[in-house]
Amino acid sequence: MFRPLVTVLTVFSLGSPAGVPAQEPAASPRLSTVLSDRDRDGYAEARTPRPFSFPADHGPHPEYRNEWWYVTGNLDDADGRRFGFELTLFRFALAPEPAEEDAGKAAAGSAWRTRQVHLAHFAVTDVAAGRFRFAERHARGALGLAGATAEPFRVWVGDWWLREFPSSGEDAGNAWLLHAGTEELGATLTLVPEKPPVLNGENGLSQKSADPGNASYYYSISRIATRGTLRIDDAVYDVSGLSWLDREWGSSALADDQAGWDWFALQLSDGSDLMFYRLRRDDGSTDPMSAGTWIPARGDAVPLARGDVSLEPREHWESPRGGRYPVAWALSVPRLELELLIEPVLRDQELDVSVRYWEGAVDVSGRRSGSPVDGRGYVELTGYAE
Amino acid sequence: MAVLARASFGYLLRHPWQLVPALVGVCIGVAVMVAVDLAVDSARRAFELSMDAVNGEATHQLVGGPGGIDETVYVQLRVTEGITGIAPVVEAHVVAAGMTLTLLGLDPLAESDFRAWAAPGTLNEGIERVRALLTEPGTVLVSGRTARMLGVGRGDRFTLQANGRDVEARVAGLLSAEAGGEDARLDGLLVADIATAQEWLAMHGRLSRMDVRLPRVPAAALDRLTAALPPGVQLLEAEGRTRATAEMTAAFTTNLTAMSLLAMLVGVFLIYNSIGFAVVQRRTVFGYLRALGVTRGGLLALVLGEAIVLGAAGAALGLGAGFWLGERLLALVSRSINDLYFVVNVTSVTLDPGSLAKGFGAGVAATLLAALVPAAEAAGVPPRLAMTRAALEAGTVRALPWLALAGLVAAALAMLLLGLTERSLVAGLAALFLLVTGLALCIPAAVRLVARAATPVGALLGGAPGRLAVAGIGASLSRTAVAIVALGVAVSATVGVSVMVDSFRESVRAWIDGTLRSDVYVGVDRGTLDPALARDLVEVPGIEAWSTSRNVTLEGAAGRVALTALELPPGSFAGIRLRDTDPSATRQAFEERGAVLVSDSYAYRHGVAPGDSVLLPTAQGERRFPVAAVYQSYDAELDSLLMSRRTYDVFWDDPGIDSLGLRLEPGADVGATIDALRALAAGRQALVIRSNAEIRQLSMDIFDRTFVITDVLYWLALGVALVGLLAALLALQLERARELATLRALGMTPGELGAMVIVQSGCIGLLAGLAALPLGVLMAWLLVDVINRRAFGWQMELAVGPKALALALGLALTAAVAAALYPARRAARASPARAMREE
Repeated sequence: MFRPLVTVLTVFSLGSPAGVPAQEPAASPRLSTVLSDRDRDGYAEARTPRPFSFPADHGPHPEYRNEWWYVTGNLDDADGRRFGFELTLFRFALAPEPAEEDAGKAAAGSAWRTRQVHLAHFAVTDVAAGRFRFAERHARGALGLAGATAEPFRVWVGDWWLREFPSSGEDAGNAWLLHAGTEELGATLTLVPEKPPVLNGENGLSQKSADPGNASYYYSISRIATRGTLRIDDAVYDVSGLSWLDREWGSSALADDQAGWDWFALQLSDGSDLMFYRLRRDDGSTDPMSAGTWIPARGDAVPLARGDVSLEPREHWESPRGGRYPVAWALSVPRLELELLIEPVLRDQELDVSVRYWEGAVDVSGRRSGSPVDGRGYVELTGYAE
Repeated sequence: MAVLARASFGYLLRHPWQLVPALVGVCIGVAVMVAVDLAVDSARRAFELSMDAVNGEATHQLVGGPGGIDETVYVQLRVTEGITGIAPVVEAHVVAAGMTLTLLGLDPLAESDFRAWAAPGTLNEGIERVRALLTEPGTVLVSGRTARMLGVGRGDRFTLQANGRDVEARVAGLLSAEAGGEDARLDGLLVADIATAQEWLAMHGRLSRMDVRLPRVPAAALDRLTAALPPGVQLLEAEGRTRATAEMTAAFTTNLTAMSLLAMLVGVFLIYNSIGFAVVQRRTVFGYLRALGVTRGGLLALVLGEAIVLGAAGAALGLGAGFWLGERLLALVSRSINDLYFVVNVTSVTLDPGSLAKGFGAGVAATLLAALVPAAEAAGVPPRLAMTRAALEAGTVRALPWLALAGLVAAALAMLLLGLTERSLVAGLAALFLLVTGLALCIPAAVRLVARAATPVGALLGGAPGRLAVAGIGASLSRTAVAIVALGVAVSATVGVSVMVDSFRESVRAWIDGTLRSDVYVGVDRGTLDPALARDLVEVPGIEAWSTSRNVTLEGAAGRVALTALELPPGSFAGIRLRDTDPSATRQAFEERGAVLVSDSYAYRHGVAPGDSVLLPTAQGERRFPVAAVYQSYDAELDSLLMSRRTYDVFWDDPGIDSLGLRLEPGADVGATIDALRALAAGRQALVIRSNAEIRQLSMDIFDRTFVITDVLYWLALGVALVGLLAALLALQLERARELATLRALGMTPGELGAMVIVQSGCIGLLAGLAALPLGVLMAWLLVDVINRRAFGWQMELAVGPKALALALGLALTAAVAAALYPARRAARASPARAMREE
C-alpha cells in the first residue's frame, strides 16, 4: 500500500515523544499543508504506465520523492507459537536531486550532504505472550548510514536491512535476507518468493485520486516462503511461514479530502492472495479510487475496482493513546464468490512511533465459491489516531 | 525593653554620623562579597547552561585526539555494530558580528535522543527547518536572542568567520527550548547540519566528538560500545568533561572570593569602631540603666540588638549595591575567563538566592561579631557614673600590649598553618588573613611607641600645636586604634597585591621576551592554519627561519592536559626557559627521543620531575613519554606539556597548525613581509598576523585585564578604611570637644586648631602606612610564593619596587588627611563657649 502520510510525518517529527513542547498545538496537521502539489516540482511523477524490470526495480528510484519496501509476515515456531512481523524501510527525498551541474559542486562538500532520508519501522507480534512490540530508526542516506542499491540489491537503515541472498554464486538474488533488531527484539529471516512480482493498478500505475499526478508505481510479491529466527528478550525462536512484500514509489500524497486508508494483504489456504486498499475520505466514506488485486494460485492477477469489493467493519478497538480503530472486518468480493471475516490476532497492534498507526497480523476465515477457506494476512489502518 | 530599645535607637538616630560608617562598612563588605559571588556564579552558570544545551541528554561522549574522530567510526558503530543512542557532533567556535559563537554541527536525524530543541518544534515550521538544514548548505538555527544580537531575523543572511574563512549563513529558523520563552542555554549557539559545519570548518571526514546516551542499565551497553571502539577513541562521562572545563577556573575564582573577603574584613573593623564608639558615648546612660535595675544581660542584649538591626539594614543595602556591582564585575570576570580559559556568553547576572542569603548572613554575622567586644564592655559598666575618659584611655593603653600579643599569636598560627599544609589553597588564604590581621593588631602599639618618641620632633617642627598633635595620637588610641588597624590592613593589602602583580608582571614579561623568538606570528582567529597555506607562507622572501606550534587539549580518563607541539628551527630551543637542567641534553631528548617538557604548574601539581614519565592518550591508545625537564610557564591552563612536532606527528593524526612563527633575515622589513604574507593568503584564509611587539603588548594587555578585578577590589577595601578613619576622627573630635574648646579659649586660632587636627590625622596615616609597608611586603611574599603557587603552580620572582611602597605611603597619608578635612573644619568652626558649656 502507499503510505506517504506515515513517511512524511515520521521524517519530520523525528521520533521524539518526550520532545519539544510545541509552541503551537501539535494537532494532527492536514496533509495538504504538509505536502502541497507545489512540492512535487522537480520530482519525477507517476503519470503513465512504465515497463518494470527485475531485479533493477527492486532497487531505489531516487528521482521520485517517496519509496518503500514493506515486508509483513505470519510465522510459527515448531511448537505452533504464533508470531507476526513487519519491517518497513522508507526512502524520502527532502528536495529533488540536484541537476547534473550542481552535483559536481556538491562533490567537494561534506560526505554527510544528502537530500535522501531513510527510516524504518520494525514490529513483532507475539500472540502467545499477547505482546506487540515495535521500534523505529532513521538515518540520512549518506556515508552508508542508510541507503538502497539495485545491484546487488540492498536497502538498509543502520543495521536493519533487506538484501539479496546469497550475494554471489549461481543462486545469487534468488532469495532475500532480512535483518532487524533492538536490544530486546530481533529478526533474521530468509525470504524465498513463491510467486513472481504482481503489478497493481494499471500495469503497476496505481492511481490515488482524479489528479493525474497523484499516483504511484506499485508492485507486490504476495507469497514469500520465510524461515529464520525471531529473538524476543532472551528467547530465540526458529520460525517459518509466509511473508508479503509491497513496493511502491511516487511523488504524490493523499488528496485534500482523503483522511487515511485501510489496507488488506491476505494469503488464503487455496493458494490465492488478495490485496485491497480502501481510501477513506474525511466524511468516512470510501473514495472511488480505492482498488485492489486478486492473485490466484496460478495464472494472471485480476485488478479489483472499488465496486468489486464490499467492506464492513465488525469490531472496533479503542487505543489507550487515543483513536478508535476498526480491527475486525467482513470483506466480500461477489465477482470472485469470496466472503471473508478478518480478525486481528491481537487487538493492540498499534505502532506508537513518530506517527501512530495500526499494522497487525490477522486471521481470515470464510467461503470461496461455496467451499470453506481460511488464511492469514496483515492489515494496516491509518488516519485514526487522535 | 521597649523603652530601652527606644532610647537606644533614639540615640543612634540623633547621631547619624556614628550610624553611617557602620552602615557603610556592612554595606560595602556585603556588596563586594555578593558582587564577586554573583559574577563568578553567573559566569559559571552561563557556562554550565551552554554546556547543558550543547551536551543535551548525553550521558557520555566519545572523544578522539586533537583532530577529532574519523566519521567512519560513527558509521561503523551504527551500521556494523548496530549501536543506537549515539550522535555525531562537529563543534567549533566561529566569529560573527564581533562575537564568538559556538557552531554546533548536528545530524538532526540522530538528535531525537539528545537535544530535543534541535528537533523541529512544530510540524509545519519543522519541515521547512529540517528541509533547509539538510538540503540548503549554509543554513543555521539560532535562538531569538542570538538572532537579535546578530541583527538578523528568520530567512536573513549574515557573514561569519569559520576557521579563518568568511562564509555566508542563512537563518533557517529560530530555536526555542521552552514553550514560548527565551532560553539562556541557547545563547551564542549556531546550530547547523553536520555537513554545513564540516564544510565551513574544512573538517571533512572528521567529527569533533560523538554524544552517547546509554540506556538505563548501562553495564552491557557500555561494554558493547567500548569493545567496538578503535584505539584513540575514548568514552568519557559528559558531566565529568563539563566539570573538568569548569574547574579550570577554580583557582581563579577562589582568589576572587578571597579578595571579596578582604573587603568584608575591613568592613568588620569599621563596624567594631562605630559600635564601640556608640557604646563609649553612652557609658553614663548605661551606668544609670544599671542603677535602675537593668541587668548585664539586658545591656548585652540591647547592644547586640542594635548590632543586628544595624547589620541587617547595612546588609540589605549591601545586597542592592552588590547586585549593581556584580553586573559590572561580571563583564570583567567573563572577559578574563574568555581570555584565559574558554568561551562563555554571559548576558545577565543570575540572581541566586543562595548568594544573596549568604551575603546577608555574612553581613549580619560580621556585625554581631564586631559588636561582641563593645557589647561586653557595655555589660561591664558598673551601676554608677561612668569612668572618666582618662581611666578609659589608661585601660586602652594597658590593653595595647595584649592586643599586640594576640596579633603575634595569630601570626605565629598563620606560619604554623603554612608549615603544616603543602598544597591547600584555602589553608594558604586562611594563613594570609591570619598573618595580616595578626600583624595589623600590632600596629596601634607600634604607633604609640613611635608617637611617644616623635613628640619632641613634633614640637620642634610645629611648636605647641605640633607637639599637641603628635602627643595626642598616643593619647587618643582608644578611639583611633581600630581605624589604624583597618587602614593598616587596607594599605598593606594594596602594597601586597601591587607588589605581587608587579612581580608577576615582571616575571611574565621576562618569560614572554625569552619565549617569543620570532619576528612575526601568523595564526587564525578561532581556527587552525591550513597546512598547505603554511607551507606557502614560509617561502615568502626574507624569511630566515620558521617554527610552528599546535596547541591541543588531550583528554583521558585521568584528566586533561594542554599539549603544545613545537617545530623549532635551530637555536630556538633556547627560548624555552628550563629549570635546572642541561639545555643541550634536554634539547636532544626533546627533539630525538620523544621526551616531553612539563610546565612548572604541571610539575608542582603532579609531583613530576625530570626522569619521570607521563601517560598520554594518543591516537594509538595510551602511551608513556619520558619527562626531560621542567620549563617556566604562566599558562592559565594548569597542566601544560611541550612536545616536539616530530614526536606529535608520530602519535597523533592531526596536521593542524595553530601558529607559525617567522624569523626574518637581518634587515628585512617587517611591514613589507606582513603585506606579502597577507597577499599570499588572500582568498584562502583570513590570517591574524602580529609582530613580536604586538604579541608582547597583547599578552601584557590580557595580563593586565586579569588584574583589573583585583584593582577594583582593593580600591574598595581602601575606601572602607577611609570611611572608617573619617568616622574615628569625627568621634575623637566630638569626645574632645571640650579639650579643643579649651585650646581655643587659651588663644589657639581656628586655623591652628584645624591644622592640628589635620597634622594629627596625617601623622596617624603616615605611621599606619609605615607600619603597613613591611606587612604589605610580607603579604606580597605570601601571595607570590604561597597563594599563586598553590593556586596555579606558578613560580615567580618577588620584586619589591620603591614605586609600590611610595604609593602605599602616599595613599595612607592622603586617606588620613582626606578623612581629617571635614573634622578639622568642624573643629575650627565650633564655638568654644558652647562647647565648654556642654557636658
